[in-house]
Amino acid sequence: MTRIEFLDRLCKGLTGLPPATLKEIMADYEAHFKDAAAEGRSESEVAAALGDPERLARELKAEAGVKSWDEAKTPSNATAAIVGILGLGALDILILLPLLGGVVGTLIGIFAAAIGGFIAGGVVFAAGPFLGFPGGIFAALLGGFGVMLLSAAVGAITLALTIWMVNGVVWFARLHYRVLKPALES
Amino acid sequence: MPETIDIQLKKGVLGLCVLAVLARNESYAYEIASHLSDAIGMGEGTIYPLMRRMQTDGLVTTYLVESSSGPSRKYYKLTDAGRAALDAQAAEWRGFAAAVDALLEPVPVANAPLEEA
Repeated sequence: MTRIEFLDRLCKGLTGLPPATLKEIMADYEAHFKDAAAEGRSESEVAAALGDPERLARELKAEAGVKSWDEAKTPSNATAAIVGILGLGALDILILLPLLGGVVGTLIGIFAAAIGGFIAGGVVFAAGPFLGFPGGIFAALLGGFGVMLLSAAVGAITLALTIWMVNGVVWFARLHYRVLKPALES
Repeated sequence: MPETIDIQLKKGVLGLCVLAVLARNESYAYEIASHLSDAIGMGEGTIYPLMRRMQTDGLVTTYLVESSSGPSRKYYKLTDAGRAALDAQAAEWRGFAAAVDALLEPVPVANAPLEEA
């Protein structure tokens, strides 16, 4: 494999990464070839010593996914981190997917319920005084506000739980991956 | 797969080795990679994902050094967290190695440090 071929395959494997990260990684490997050439090593020798570019790309991508999840806990970063790690084959997808699917479904359900509760509480709070709820205006205001608070609290707790769970999956996969990967390679 | 244990061992301690190399001298990736591939026969490609992981974990930071030929070079150095990780992992490694050494002795040695970790 030539230098260009290696870098090309690596770059293809890294599609989807933020441009700045991609540039940094490509610069790392280009510098590696340059340093090796200065020592008089041939391109094909260096490419062979570096290993399979697709495999390296998967590993780098998973690492980048974990990094963006560390920096910002957004749903898309959580997805990127987990998809990247699944790409490594570190977790048994067949076992994990139904489990993950169930958990994700439950979490989405709770979130939906919390949002629904919040809106319902808001409606009672806003419309209560005009519709003549049993217990009078004050009870409607208080009750509506209470339901809103409760829903917000449930939402916040579920969010904290979700973040904790994604961290757990990432931690487990990285630990697992280090042990498993060599066995897959040989 | 006769070499599996060999590779697994090296992979497991590669992070520790990088920390140790950087504790001696701040260095750039190619130098670290060739150092380690000479010393413990580690594949060169693994160094880059590993360096990025160690950067994410806050164990190393990078800085650029102007080079007389071509673009500036990216150097790595240990952070305080990196030095702490080196101390902890080195102690763990020594305990583990001592325990394995003791098991490899043909005759049980009295007071062998089997549970030192």
